[in-house]
Amino acid sequence: MNVLDRKLLRDLAAARGMLLALLCIIVVGVLCFVSMASVYLNLEQSRQRYYAQTRMADFEISLRKVPLQDLSELLGDLRGVAEYRPRVVFEVTADLPGVERPLTGQVVSLPGHPGPVVNDILIRRGGYFTDDRRAEVILHDAFARARNLGPGDRLRLILNERIHELTVVGTAISAEFVYLLGPGGLIPDNENYGVFYLPEQFAREAFDLEGAANNIVGRLTGEYRERPDAVLDRIEQILEPYGVAAVTPLARQQSHWFLMSEIDGLKVSVVFVPTLFLAVAVVLLNVLMTRIAEQQRTVAGTLKALGYSNRALFSHYVRFGAAVGVAGGLIGAVLGWLSAGGMVEMYTQYYEFPELANRPQVLVMVFGLGLSVVFSIAGTLNGVRKILRLSPAESMRPRPPEQGRRVLLERWQWAWRQFDFRWQMVLRGITRNRMRTASGVFAATVGSALMLLMFHMRDSMNEMVEFQFDQLLISDFDLTFRNVEDEGAVLEVRRMPGVDRVEPLFNVGCTFHNGHHRKKGGITGLMRNARLTVPRDVAGNAIAVPRVGLLLTRLLAEELDVLPGDVLIVEPVRGRQDRLVFPVSAIIDSYLGMAAYADYDWLNHQLSEAGAVTGVQLKVDRRPEVVREFYRELKQLPAIQAVSAIRENRKQLEEVLIEQMMVSVVVVTLFAGALFFGSILNSSLISLAERNQEIATFRVLGYTSREVGQIFLRESLCINLLGMACGLPAGYGLCLLINRAYSTELFRLPFVIQPASWVVTALLGLGFTLLAQWPVKRAIARQNWQEALNARE
Amino acid sequence: MSEADSQTESEQTATAGPARDAAPLLRLRNVGRTFHTGDVAVTVLRDVNLEVPRGQIMVIVGPSGSGKSTLLNIIGGIDSPSTGEVWFGDRDLARLNDAALTRYRRESVGFVFQFYNLVPTLTALENVVVSSQLSDNAMDPAEALKMVGLEHRTHHFPSQLSGGEQQRVAIARAIAGNPEILLCDEPTGALDLETGRNVLELLDRLNRDFGRTVLIITHNSAIAAMAHQQVRIGSGTIAEAKANPRRVSAGEISW
Ligand SMILES: Nc1ncnc2c1ncn2[C@@H]1O[C@H](COP(=O)(O)OP(=O)(O)OP(=O)(O)O)[C@@H](O)[C@H]1O
Ligand SMILES: [Mg+2]
Repeated sequence: MNVLDRKLLRDLAAARGMLLALLCIIVVGVLCFVSMASVYLNLEQSRQRYYAQTRMADFEISLRKVPLQDLSELLGDLRGVAEYRPRVVFEVTADLPGVERPLTGQVVSLPGHPGPVVNDILIRRGGYFTDDRRAEVILHDAFARARNLGPGDRLRLILNERIHELTVVGTAISAEFVYLLGPGGLIPDNENYGVFYLPEQFAREAFDLEGAANNIVGRLTGEYRERPDAVLDRIEQILEPYGVAAVTPLARQQSHWFLMSEIDGLKVSVVFVPTLFLAVAVVLLNVLMTRIAEQQRTVAGTLKALGYSNRALFSHYVRFGAAVGVAGGLIGAVLGWLSAGGMVEMYTQYYEFPELANRPQVLVMVFGLGLSVVFSIAGTLNGVRKILRLSPAESMRPRPPEQGRRVLLERWQWAWRQFDFRWQMVLRGITRNRMRTASGVFAATVGSALMLLMFHMRDSMNEMVEFQFDQLLISDFDLTFRNVEDEGAVLEVRRMPGVDRVEPLFNVGCTFHNGHHRKKGGITGLMRNARLTVPRDVAGNAIAVPRVGLLLTRLLAEELDVLPGDVLIVEPVRGRQDRLVFPVSAIIDSYLGMAAYADYDWLNHQLSEAGAVTGVQLKVDRRPEVVREFYRELKQLPAIQAVSAIRENRKQLEEVLIEQMMVSVVVVTLFAGALFFGSILNSSLISLAERNQEIATFRVLGYTSREVGQIFLRESLCINLLGMACGLPAGYGLCLLINRAYSTELFRLPFVIQPASWVVTALLGLGFTLLAQWPVKRAIARQNWQEALNARE
Repeated sequence: MSEADSQTESEQTATAGPARDAAPLLRLRNVGRTFHTGDVAVTVLRDVNLEVPRGQIMVIVGPSGSGKSTLLNIIGGIDSPSTGEVWFGDRDLARLNDAALTRYRRESVGFVFQFYNLVPTLTALENVVVSSQLSDNAMDPAEALKMVGLEHRTHHFPSQLSGGEQQRVAIARAIAGNPEILLCDEPTGALDLETGRNVLELLDRLNRDFGRTVLIITHNSAIAAMAHQQVRIGSGTIAEAKANPRRVSAGEISW
């Protein structure tokens, strides 16, 4: 080995304390990059393969009923539509032997024989249907697993108000349901919500849709994939007479939307998080390298005098950074790959893929290593430049005595004298080593901002769940009827055991028009004295539904460009086809994306109905034995299409959120800790080395190592408090930014930071500062100050 | 390597001694050096004219601050004169660019510094290798250490060596690259009499046995007794330069 490399190794070993601190930060940066980038790639690649393999649809249309013959005439050679498949799709309830509560799910029809159709399935267990007409079912694999069902088992489905007994022939997954949510759910509830694939002919017969369909999935030709709107508008127009309820492009398909927001989130984090950490590492490395340049002044000058060229010296000293970068990069890449395994594990719990493995992404690892090396070298360049600029003759001269410039505070003698001399040292240290102070402040800023961001996410999630379930979803059960029912249905439900309160809902699917603005949606008709669905604004205030006219959420109103007092053309999907003119009476700032409310009686009247009901909300006696009784009766109600058990949803959601939040709290705290710890250790050890003689003098004068340590502690505290003073507001800004970025049509997260979160962030920052003091104290205690006094620097 | 060695040795021995008409190794013409710090200009050297003969020991004596180190730095190619010429063979060091100066230092000059300037994280042997690996016709570094009598100290770090030993490692480092001239800045400045004398004896032997040109600068006029050429420098210019007819061996010098 070249002797200079040997020198490098020994220099590295001598600076190991500081390097270790830095290494932590670099490792975290690379780890984040490698793990998130690998997961991103593995997810995205799996998704693309999966979509291609099962011919994932570019659009989905749900309508009342369209004869297949009309369909082939209308869509057969429509420009932009590459292929389509008419299906039968319904929400249904299922009855499993031994399961108390009625289960719900979606029926989706498939051709009787396997073939490369749009939205094909992949069989996991068992096989395909044996016949087009038999009462056979293929189950969504996750549901089958959760309910311990397999080929050969039997289950009862209520299809079109008739009970059917079906035989399970297989289980399958589909790209359409990578992330399967029941109505109103936010996370998959595999035990209670499934997909039931039925043979086409059987399904048509069961739902009285012979020679017809109520759902179409299709693929667009290449040039329309990216901009499907024009084609979809055209399709919607063509099919309007058949009662189009919704036209959903892939971008808004539920499973796809959730999956993509996860993947896109990763894409953002992959750039953002590692950059933060590596930026801190660059700044700290720069401080360390400046110190080393200072230290190696004479050595570098001597090497030059001996005939080493600037190039040779450059490559020698740059290797310092490169070595740190390589070490951090390698460790980070390996740890990153391991944690990618953990993340993939987590994703497979919620996202169903044919194969989602933690494949080693070699390019990502190499890139991560490269990033680490590049950032580390960038951090050393300034120091190396200082070394190169030094003339050898200059470096041989005794160093000019340090400028004892007075710090600003010292000019005010009176104020200055109020500090004891150790505080004076602290203040001098902070103001003289501007770069070091700035880097420490920067690290603490980033660290505390990250922690605050994490706590903000937790607070907002909690707030959302609380708001959702304490203010919006107050009922215990929401039942949806298959058809529009009347008061009789409400009465029937009211007679069920344990039911305390019943409130009818009247939902009208419709298209809103205002000039050229158009939006598919629905109006919810609410009873005047309704307590179980109460529209609330973001502050939680109940907003009364106007007696006349519509109450729109802000997002919907903006989309349609209407203000209170304007009118909207409403074209109902169900019932009559003629257009109605509804006034917009009020607009509400709501977390609930797009929604419209109206008075129950007013809406009924407008649609020439009386007491029409599409669903009911219930409050029930929640004693287990009563609920059991209630469930038993519920299973007997064929008119029910969907049941959501709100309380159970809440429990399940909270469990998952708490688990996920625990993980992120631990991870982010650790990472932020690495920032605090690393920067403090780095700068304290440097400052310890620089003030060697000064400190030795104190020791000679009789100060204990504890008292000397106080100087460093105070300095770290000052820097980190300053950093937190910047980091908390910066974190607040970051939270706002991210909250905005995540607010979408489907989902709007409340913006909350609990007072406790501020306090805990600050306390953690303080805690890390104190913790990092421990190795510094040890270094002070172990310092050989007699030697330091005699040494000539 | 021994072949090449003996060849240069015989060549140099031939030119050794008071061979006045042989071309000098170095010729300084009207060399001046002015430092600018801020608005202040300090002229440290002016009108220095000096010839350094090949294969001899030259001692330059002068009080502290007289510009000795500055002069040595210019001769060694780690500083450039503000005015004048420094001829080394047919090259004027004053006009060489950075790369050429680096090559000159690497091939032709061996430095011995007042404070040794060893690399603290390298052993004695490794410190010598630092210099020998730069040169194509370098000595075996172990051999160089043996020449300075430190063969038993090869794996010691500078902090484990005494001042005199460190200075001897520095000399081994300086000669390992087989330079034409050894430049020594206060080689005994940090050493006691006994150790200092040993170092001087070593330099003397290197000149006598291997024909090296040795240039020593010092504020200690006693050392001039061992020189072939004695130069006195005062306030930035050469006050006196003369041959020394009555050399005494380094061992007899005392101060
Ligand atoms: N880079 C520089 N910038 C400004 N002044 C310098 C510089 N180098 C040397 N000097 C000044 O030039 C003068 C001569 O310095 P030099 O080091 O050559 O003296 P010296 O004879 O070697 O002294 P000593 O015996 O103390 O080593 C001194 O006054 C010194 O301060
Ligand atoms: Mg000097």
